[in-house]
Amino acid sequence: MADALEILNLVKKYDSLIAVNDVTFNVKPGEIFGLLGPNGAGKTSLISTIVTVEKPTSGSVKIFGTDVSVQPRVTKSMTGIVPQEIVNHGFFNIEEILTFHSGYFGIRNNKTQIHFLLHKLGLFEHRHKRVKQLSGGMKRRLLIAKALVHQPKLLILDEPTAGVDIELRQSLWEFVTELRKSGVTILLTTHYLEEAEQLCDRVGIIHQGRLRRVGPTKELIDEFTQRNINLVLSKTTGSLTNKYLTHQDQNKVSFQIPSTMKVGELLAQTQLNVSDIVDLQINEGSLEDAFRRVLGGVE
Amino acid sequence: MIQQELRWTPFLLLFWREIRRFMKVVVQTVLAPLISSSLYLLIFGISLGKSIDLSSGMSYLAFLIPGLVMMGCLNNAFSNASSSVVGSKFAGELEDYKISPLSHSQIIWALSLGGVARGLMVATITFFVGQIFCYIQLGEMLSVKSPLLLVFFLLVGGIGFAMMGLSVALWSKTFDHLSAFGSFILLPLIYLGGVFYSIDTLPVFWQKVSMFNPILYFINGVRYSILGVSDVNVWFAALMSLVLLFVFYILSIYSFNRGSFQRW
Ligand SMILES: Nc1ncnc2c1ncn2[C@@H]1O[C@H](COP(=O)(O)OP(=O)(O)OP(=O)(O)O)[C@@H](O)[C@H]1O
Ligand SMILES: [Mg+2]
Repeated sequence: MADALEILNLVKKYDSLIAVNDVTFNVKPGEIFGLLGPNGAGKTSLISTIVTVEKPTSGSVKIFGTDVSVQPRVTKSMTGIVPQEIVNHGFFNIEEILTFHSGYFGIRNNKTQIHFLLHKLGLFEHRHKRVKQLSGGMKRRLLIAKALVHQPKLLILDEPTAGVDIELRQSLWEFVTELRKSGVTILLTTHYLEEAEQLCDRVGIIHQGRLRRVGPTKELIDEFTQRNINLVLSKTTGSLTNKYLTHQDQNKVSFQIPSTMKVGELLAQTQLNVSDIVDLQINEGSLEDAFRRVLGGVE
Repeated sequence: MIQQELRWTPFLLLFWREIRRFMKVVVQTVLAPLISSSLYLLIFGISLGKSIDLSSGMSYLAFLIPGLVMMGCLNNAFSNASSSVVGSKFAGELEDYKISPLSHSQIIWALSLGGVARGLMVATITFFVGQIFCYIQLGEMLSVKSPLLLVFFLLVGGIGFAMMGLSVALWSKTFDHLSAFGSFILLPLIYLGGVFYSIDTLPVFWQKVSMFNPILYFINGVRYSILGVSDVNVWFAALMSLVLLFVFYILSIYSFNRGSFQRW
């Protein structure tokens, strides 16, 4: 089966500015992929070329095996996009907007799907309002509804949770997980790295237009972070010697070990008795730490 | 290979959206031409018209009506189409067209037919206002000489102007660009296109210059369709109208391929 998304040597320049610089990666069918990077990294520019809002300077984008520049109407039918910027629709109310939007995708009687989405996204009571009359978070949810009217196989979310409150963010991510279960492939960007860590099977870290790292979330964290282990011992021991030891203060000792190393291994090395340990605390590395390390390494 | 449902539905829905869009401001759509055509007819047709003698012996009021009908149609087709694009740019909606499987020619036809629908509505209102003036002033209404030709010229001219409106709107980077085009190019062309006078009354040199004004053919086509008189041969006018429609269509295709869909 072809990859859901295949990006090959993609370059996007705005005049002299290189917003996307030779980026290559792919997203597998049914996967949630997180595209992470600081402001101005080139995430939106990259996404714009996927949905043909911008033409790539060079390189190619394929969606389920079809090149977006060769058969754009085929790829667009398979893709839903939640843009970063709010879209206003002066004259029309939510239900009308969604009806027209379905029509653009060739679907004439789409009431069932539209009402399903309105209920799902908590917009049903507001369906006769115009965009102007919605709150910021509701506007964003409307964008999500628009992206899903035609039940796309690939869903692209460009910062879908910006300006959305905690509770809603939670339910939004649950919805995304549900969509994935039903077979939708998802590419998202977010600045909430904790949420990305929970959600994404794989992430790509982009900085200054270049893709610095791409891989399974867990592997990236393991590669770039350490586990911090703090022990409280029942009695003060003599000075320990271990290459992972970072701190010792009477009966309190701290170690930093590679994420791949087991705690048991460390204990064996230090020859501490389990019965001497009063308390043990493990701090796993987070995606945020890995993200900082990846970016830090290139500056 | 394009799926069957992408052939007509996107176009129809976008066309329907355009109709709905101007129907939301229907009072404005109806009232504005009602007032402006009444004013033109009152000032030019009746007040000034008394002192104008046409060589054909026709009343100036009758002469004026077809011109006003076509002017209303062209103006509204142009402005409806261009304001739709500019408004969508402003809102970011134009990117919605870009991300959906609407083809450029579907967008062009949907928006220009939407524009011409509004143009026809205004033309109809103007014509009825004119008929009332005629009845009051001349004691009888105008009878349309060739309804078929009338519909032809209104449609072709209106669609052409809507396409021109789309192109200008796509190239515009601000609202000012659009209004500059309106007042520096469109308005002079319309006024010099023989709405208010017959080019026979002009010196020969200016008659020749007028032949380059595309609007002349549209206006005279409509005048012939209603009154049976025209400054140019009606079949030549019809041919020129089709040529112009083709040019405007090519222009709009080019603009959609090269112009900007980006939001303002
Ligand atoms: N239309 C444009 N014209 C010129 N430069 C642009 C345009 N759009 C983006 N850029 C530039 O390209 C670079 C990448 O921008 P982009 O919007 O892709 O970043 P991003 O990763 O989405 O950032 P954010 O997290 O803030 O959304 C930036 O330097 C930006 O200034
Ligand atoms: Mg962005």
